[in-house]
Amino acid sequence: MQFIISIGREYGSGGHEIGRHLAERLGVDFCDRNMLDRIAEEKDTSAENLRKYDETPKRFLLSRTVRGFSNSPEEIIARMQFEYLEKKAKSGESFIVVGRCAESVLKDCEGLISLFITGDEDAKIDRVAEHRSMTRDQAKMAILRHDKKRKAYHNYYCEGKWGDSRNYELTINSSKLGIMGTVDILEQYIRLRTQ
Amino acid sequence: MAQIIALVIFVAMFVLIVTDKIERHYVTLGCGLLTLILVFGVCMRDPAAIMNTLNVKPIFTLDFWYAPHAEGEESGGINWATIIFIAGMMIMVEGMARAGFFRWLCMKLAKLVHYKTIPVFVTFMLMSFVLAMFIDSITVILFLASVTIELSRLLKFDPVPMILSEVFCANLGGSATMCGDPPNIIIGTSLGYSFFDFILNTGAMAVIALVFTLIYFYLVFRKQYSTPSENIDISALPSPESCITDKKGFALSTVIFLIAVVMLVTHSMTHLTVAFIGVFVSLATVLANTRHLGYIMKRVDYKTLLFFIGLFVVVGGLEQTGVLETVAGFIGKISGGNSKLMIAIIIWGSAVASAFIDNIPFAATMIPVIKTLAVSSGVPLDTLAWALSMGTDIGGSGTPIGASANVVGTSAAAKAGHPIGWGEYCSKAAPATVIVLAVCTAYIFVVYL
Repeated sequence: MQFIISIGREYGSGGHEIGRHLAERLGVDFCDRNMLDRIAEEKDTSAENLRKYDETPKRFLLSRTVRGFSNSPEEIIARMQFEYLEKKAKSGESFIVVGRCAESVLKDCEGLISLFITGDEDAKIDRVAEHRSMTRDQAKMAILRHDKKRKAYHNYYCEGKWGDSRNYELTINSSKLGIMGTVDILEQYIRLRTQ
Repeated sequence: MAQIIALVIFVAMFVLIVTDKIERHYVTLGCGLLTLILVFGVCMRDPAAIMNTLNVKPIFTLDFWYAPHAEGEESGGINWATIIFIAGMMIMVEGMARAGFFRWLCMKLAKLVHYKTIPVFVTFMLMSFVLAMFIDSITVILFLASVTIELSRLLKFDPVPMILSEVFCANLGGSATMCGDPPNIIIGTSLGYSFFDFILNTGAMAVIALVFTLIYFYLVFRKQYSTPSENIDISALPSPESCITDKKGFALSTVIFLIAVVMLVTHSMTHLTVAFIGVFVSLATVLANTRHLGYIMKRVDYKTLLFFIGLFVVVGGLEQTGVLETVAGFIGKISGGNSKLMIAIIIWGSAVASAFIDNIPFAATMIPVIKTLAVSSGVPLDTLAWALSMGTDIGGSGTPIGASANVVGTSAAAKAGHPIGWGEYCSKAAPATVIVLAVCTAYIFVVYL
């Protein structure tokens, strides 16, 4: 049975790491920004050209749409990723995808399990400070900045709001059980759901 | 009060167009409706102003179709000649595109220069310039960019420099003729200029500027294209003939296009108006494509036509309430009667404005302004018109959002995996824009003043 797990996440919640562990345990492909490498390969171009626009909100006033052609690189790259996900889903393959509005883009897929990973503020600050070698204040600012960006990106393309629990099948706070504890519980949940 | 409301509606329209959140034809139509109701209805209580702005009556006069004494549109408001002409050309172009004309032309020229990168680069710039003289720049770039990307994959070169140069040349080519760029059509039909008037004035400037443009882009991009690609299998390239999807349609659409060019070039002698030419070419295309009519009509860009209608009403509101006379008075005052300064303000001011906002509403707004300026300052209207035309047409080349061709070109590049940011775009196109504007300013100063 095909299953697709979409993981929305707050910055610092460990959502990406949780997704990677789940993919390893379930033996399925893991899609994050590596999607751009595959898209670049298909288009015979360099992924470097595409990466700076990954999961970036469209910049208003700096782009226009003419006869349905938008020249916002952010929007074009986002839509390329959405198309890639749709194509992958249609192929029947099971996979895990982090971010990229996947819970909305793939909402019509029968096997979709949409998750959102949140976390306690202190735990997120500690995690970001440790992983990025930052002070706590810098980490707090980075979290605010990244979450603002993710929210703007998500809410431009999706009807449901980013992080709103009504848009996701399961919303979980990774600070309570830790990263691996959260992975364990999610793995059990997914196995039950896909039986 | 009417002036204030007309101005508020106009500013709101511009802001909504720039923010790009609502499709621009809804914006202009909504603002146009508000102008009719609030400005003419509630404030002015003037049904005549509404009729003047809707401007339907002239369509039923002989002069609208056949004008032995070209004088331009007598009243402001909706410029139906522009709308009918653009609609006709859109239908003709869709007929040509369906038959594979543009793709065939691109592939044919690429083959003629043996698919060598630098010759393809120069040829495509020239083709972009020439095609955009007669066909809207969006269509030109849609096809040219797509073929450029296709060739770049097979011949292993970076398509971005070529697309940037093609876009720039399309805007420049559009400035050369009356039908090349919407601002020119509006200027021509509003002020009664012919295709020939444009060719002799803006056309001359555009051709001189083209020489500078070719040299500039060659110098800027030559290094990227100087290394010949290896292991290229030319047999993998599609033959020009394979691009033709319908031989009969191809022949007919080519003939219709050539007739359109002849009619445009000679319309000052035949006295057939651009509205007549628009209707003629559209009818000819319809008759030549009876079996594909649905396909062609579906692809016509009705949104742009509706955008024009709403836009003309909003600008009509400014004109009827005298706001534009105030703007003209302001320009006259700051230039202190110095005609060179006035021309410089118009050409460079239009260019800066067009680099960031849509040049079509800007040109439509400025026409009544230059009419007033010509009367009050004594500077010939023609000179002001050419300055406005070159400023609005060329200024748009400076940024990725300045002109429709830029948007379509950068969009096509990004979809092919080559996103072009503002920095990259402006670093290459803005200097070229400044060079061309400087050439045009010098030309106007020397030839007309």
